[in-house]
Amino acid sequence: MLEVRDLVTAYGTIEALKGVTLSAKQGEITCILGPNGAGKTTLMYSIACILKPVSGSVKVNDTEITGTSAPHALRCGIALVPENRLVFHSMSVEENLMAGAYTRLSSDRAGVQADIDNAYARFPSLKDRRAQIAGTLSGGEQQMLAVARAMMSRPKILMMDEPSLGLAPLIVAEIFSIIRQLNDEGVSIVLVEQNAHKALQIANRFYLLDQGRVTFSGTPGEIGEDDFIQRAYLGSKVA
Amino acid sequence: MSEYAISVASNMGMIAFVALSAYVILVVGEISFGQQAYFGIGAYMSGAATAMWGWPFGLALAVGSLSAAAAAFAIGALTIRLRGLYFAISTLCFAEMLRLWLNSVHVRVEVDGEMVGPDGAEGFGDIRWIFENDVTPLEFMFIIYGLLGAVLAFLLLVERSRLGAALRMVGQDPLLARSQGIDASACKLLAVMFAGLIAGLGGGLYAHFATYIEPNVFNVMLGVHGLAYGLIGGLGTALGPIIGVVLDIGFLEGIRAIQGYRMIVFGGLVAILLIVMPRGILDETRVYRIKRWMRRT
Ligand SMILES: Nc1ncnc2c1ncn2[C@@H]1O[C@H](COP(=O)(O)OP(=O)(O)OP(=O)(O)O)[C@@H](O)[C@H]1O
Ligand SMILES: [Mg+2]
Repeated sequence: MLEVRDLVTAYGTIEALKGVTLSAKQGEITCILGPNGAGKTTLMYSIACILKPVSGSVKVNDTEITGTSAPHALRCGIALVPENRLVFHSMSVEENLMAGAYTRLSSDRAGVQADIDNAYARFPSLKDRRAQIAGTLSGGEQQMLAVARAMMSRPKILMMDEPSLGLAPLIVAEIFSIIRQLNDEGVSIVLVEQNAHKALQIANRFYLLDQGRVTFSGTPGEIGEDDFIQRAYLGSKVA
Repeated sequence: MSEYAISVASNMGMIAFVALSAYVILVVGEISFGQQAYFGIGAYMSGAATAMWGWPFGLALAVGSLSAAAAAFAIGALTIRLRGLYFAISTLCFAEMLRLWLNSVHVRVEVDGEMVGPDGAEGFGDIRWIFENDVTPLEFMFIIYGLLGAVLAFLLLVERSRLGAALRMVGQDPLLARSQGIDASACKLLAVMFAGLIAGLGGGLYAHFATYIEPNVFNVMLGVHGLAYGLIGGLGTALGPIIGVVLDIGFLEGIRAIQGYRMIVFGGLVAILLIVMPRGILDETRVYRIKRWMRRT
């Protein structure tokens, strides 16, 4: 479904990604773990065609999207919930949802309205706050809104960059159950996480990114076998 | 209306073009200290069109604003990658370069036995269209407000459209806007170009209102005022900058008691407002609340 090969992305002369190869399979939850500064966010932006890679390729269903535009990546079914910048602060909840359907806002009004209703059905708390200014939502609500907005583009692959950042455990659990639910409905998920314990519980496959390189990949079952990962990223033995 | 009132109102109308021009750029999240340059380009080009080449007034205004838009597009394409302070400085640099360059532009032609055209720092006089066509100050004021109304109506329409939403998203968070599939660079370039067009139109009007222009008219204070009007009046709607203009020129100018201290009062007003209402009186949130309230009643 999503194939990333030898991706190199640089900020000026500094290479944040030094040749990343990974793949995300249809219908799976693929998790990307790694310490701060590993290049996870850079990878997300590169896949979504928001950053232009120096070399390498990104393919969605065998279609090359490297070096095209963000609108094009979106049309190919990739939606990104960026890290730390979740909502348009001075727009209302509903306007934020409409922003997610921007590319078909004028051509498919009925479809957009139906998707907004779906979003409210999935996130009832957003419905009550539809007219509220998004900047005044709580952190958890903003994260929900960001997910709901990303779904408005009807993505095949939903990429989420650290959705649990700065949220209370209860909210994190809610977010993860939503991720799983979306995945059950057929959306492939690419999840960037620091919270390795939680991530490994729902991931089908994971990649470890460190200093711009994939240093390990496998399935959650394999992780206990690798002592290095345990010590570096999990701290203690995984149950 | 007294002659004085007509002249104040006309000035208000013309500087409103600069204010709207600066506002359009503020909407996409950048600050320009250089919109006076496009006002100047509009003034010189359309002044030349009527006074030197004998073109009709309407065509002259069109040439002035299109030249300004073309210049804004060129400069915008060069500076599109700059953000924040760097973008702001680049706009100021261009405007100052243009002003200094105008000081050395001497293009004079003979019209009816007299030499007419830009004469460097001596300025560009004899833009006599209103005299030759017996346009009264009152009539010219109506022309100003007619065009201002048209520009304002157009902006308000755009703001309600999908394009308007995209421009605001780019202004709030270009990266997040791009991940919604919006071409942020194209949006910015479009805004910069349209801002140039608006300022150029205002400049064309100014040249024919004043009949004499010189490079120093288009100095940075003109741009800073235009910018301040948007910041006072609010960035949530194109009506914001108009409120700013009315507050400063209409209101402060009207209070005779503070004559001579107007700039001080104005500066203080800007400072206080920016602390209390960082995005002006009619900011996005208030505009949104007003719209909801209007829809309900
Ligand atoms: N805009 C930028 N300009 C220059 N360098 C950058 C920029 N953004 C990121 N970097 C650098 O690229 C490297 C990778 O950053 P990135 O944000 O992708 O890491 P990350 O894995 O997402 O980290 P975190 O877990 O803290 O979010 C870092 O060394 C960072 O300093
Ligand atoms: Mg990151």
